[in-house]
Amino acid sequence: MNRNYIILTFLMLALAVGTLFLHLQKDTKQIQPEALLWDVLQPTRYVTTDQVAKRLIEKDPSLMLIDVRPAAEYTQFTLPGALNVPLDSLYTSAALANFGIPGAKVVLFANDAIAADEAWVILRRLNFKNNYVMKGGLNGWVETIIRPVAPAETAPETAFEQYNFRKAASMYFTGAKMDVNKDQKAKVVFKKRKKTVVASGGC
Amino acid sequence: MGPLIPNGIITGDWNFVIAILLGVAFGFILEASGFSSSRNIVGVFYGYNFVVLRVFFTALIVTMVGLMYFDYFGWLNLSQIFILPTFWQPMLVGGIVMGFGFIMGGFCPGTSFTAIAIGKIDALLFTVGLYVGIGIFSLAFPLFADFYNSGNLGNITVTDLTGIDASWLALAFTFIALAAFWITMLIEKKIRKKITDYKF
Amino acid sequence: MHVHDLNPKKTLWAVIIFVVLIIVGFITMKRPTMTYEQSVKQSVQMLSDTSAYYFYPYQLVEVLNHQNKDVVLIDIRNKYEFGQGHIPGAKSIPSFDLAKKENLNMLENYKQKKIRVVLYANNQLEATGAWFFFRQVGFENISVLLGGYDFYAAHQKDLEATYYDQNVYLKGVPRYDFAKVAKSAVTEAGTTQTTTKPVVFKRRKKATVAAGGC
Repeated sequence: MNRNYIILTFLMLALAVGTLFLHLQKDTKQIQPEALLWDVLQPTRYVTTDQVAKRLIEKDPSLMLIDVRPAAEYTQFTLPGALNVPLDSLYTSAALANFGIPGAKVVLFANDAIAADEAWVILRRLNFKNNYVMKGGLNGWVETIIRPVAPAETAPETAFEQYNFRKAASMYFTGAKMDVNKDQKAKVVFKKRKKTVVASGGC
Repeated sequence: MGPLIPNGIITGDWNFVIAILLGVAFGFILEASGFSSSRNIVGVFYGYNFVVLRVFFTALIVTMVGLMYFDYFGWLNLSQIFILPTFWQPMLVGGIVMGFGFIMGGFCPGTSFTAIAIGKIDALLFTVGLYVGIGIFSLAFPLFADFYNSGNLGNITVTDLTGIDASWLALAFTFIALAAFWITMLIEKKIRKKITDYKF
Repeated sequence: MHVHDLNPKKTLWAVIIFVVLIIVGFITMKRPTMTYEQSVKQSVQMLSDTSAYYFYPYQLVEVLNHQNKDVVLIDIRNKYEFGQGHIPGAKSIPSFDLAKKENLNMLENYKQKKIRVVLYANNQLEATGAWFFFRQVGFENISVLLGGYDFYAAHQKDLEATYYDQNVYLKGVPRYDFAKVAKSAVTEAGTTQTTTKPVVFKRRKKATVAAGGC
């Protein structure tokens, strides 16, 4: 027997055993912790209720609302067109299929921004982009959009513009105004996310 | 190709250049391993020459273990490697067909071309048959189209399927491969004693 | 010709190159300063039980009276806001400095000593992201102050009394009966409510990739 073979056999075995200690990332889709912390500290993920209301009224087809409250609360009331992904079932493949659609801007909301923010952190860790958190949540939605508060007499012009918008939005969302666009809902067709095709050879 | 094209360091046109370079290297290794000889190749099935098994298993375990280390060092990202989708029924049948062809013809597609390169007539005939077979398959494709696309399991790996850690699978596979080397060496010795008129 | 005679020189070179590559890899490797200690699944599960990790404003009283020395308050607002006013005894670490080596070491130190670290910012939301992140990388001694600094500043005098009035700062609860609110506005206006159909999104599917081989 060739001595070299014996040495090579043991070298190969040692290297293979070595892989056991490598702690290969099991879920390789995750982003690095440093990157996650950096993203978590950015306030850019927050959108206001006004922004959401505006896009809802404009029927922006790229807007996708996700309600992270439990299903029972979702069936009671939710924003128009919102889908329900309860926070505790976020990490299931059925729930995650709602995210990462090219061109869609996902706005997460709950009763307030906390639960939505936590969902955002999980999604970012799983490397999903274009997710946003509605600041104030549904409580804020009621306080600003459904029951807007009139600004003081001395308030700047923009505050009155905002108030007028909110009043109109309130009428729009509570159905006080006739919904003329009922049948004109834009049909949203998102392209499926494609995997890059890699030419592969073999044999 | 790796991080270079997606990051725009070189353009996609370089794909062809890289493919040619890799192809040259692959052909060189096949020829250098003695795979241009159909005797060497089919020796596996008769038990007198296991060089095919050894070369491929060595390449396999070294690459497998090496890639795991590379992934750990951050030199490449194993999660972004392309994995061929598995269609289990057609792949099984295809494997059986290829096995028959392998024993009868004495070449696999890659080695038949390296054998042509060194001027072997049998390899030339083999490739003619190869293209005829491809032609027949293409023309008759509508007949098997359903079967061809059946049993799609997606781009899965054994780790995805069983949940066993990749390192354990690598260790098990390395162990099997190394055991196979030693066992085949013994088989070879025994059988070669009986073959007297055998020469490369 | 014996097929299994190895060329000793070539074999040696191949082995040396392979081993050297691996050694170089180990030497040049970048070690991450933090790693995920909780899997995604664990993190999601953890959230359903947040009350265990919350730090309530009334608990501050003990800390402020120096009765509870096992709690460290960390103010993650910027230096300016910290200077404007902060909870007495709080340490200032602006959020963007949290990833610095010395601060991570400090947190690690507290973790070893089993000291509870309470993060706070102006409100709970601003500290939630950082708190949740540090939980995921294994600092299970980190809590978040409910209500944040704003609530503390407003209730400085009667912190103990807030024990009976948790609804004021507790987050995640609906403050309105949303279905009713939406309806009530309708009746005021005197028209019927129109139900909006949900927009249908196609879920993304795994694309099957045709690819050739061999």
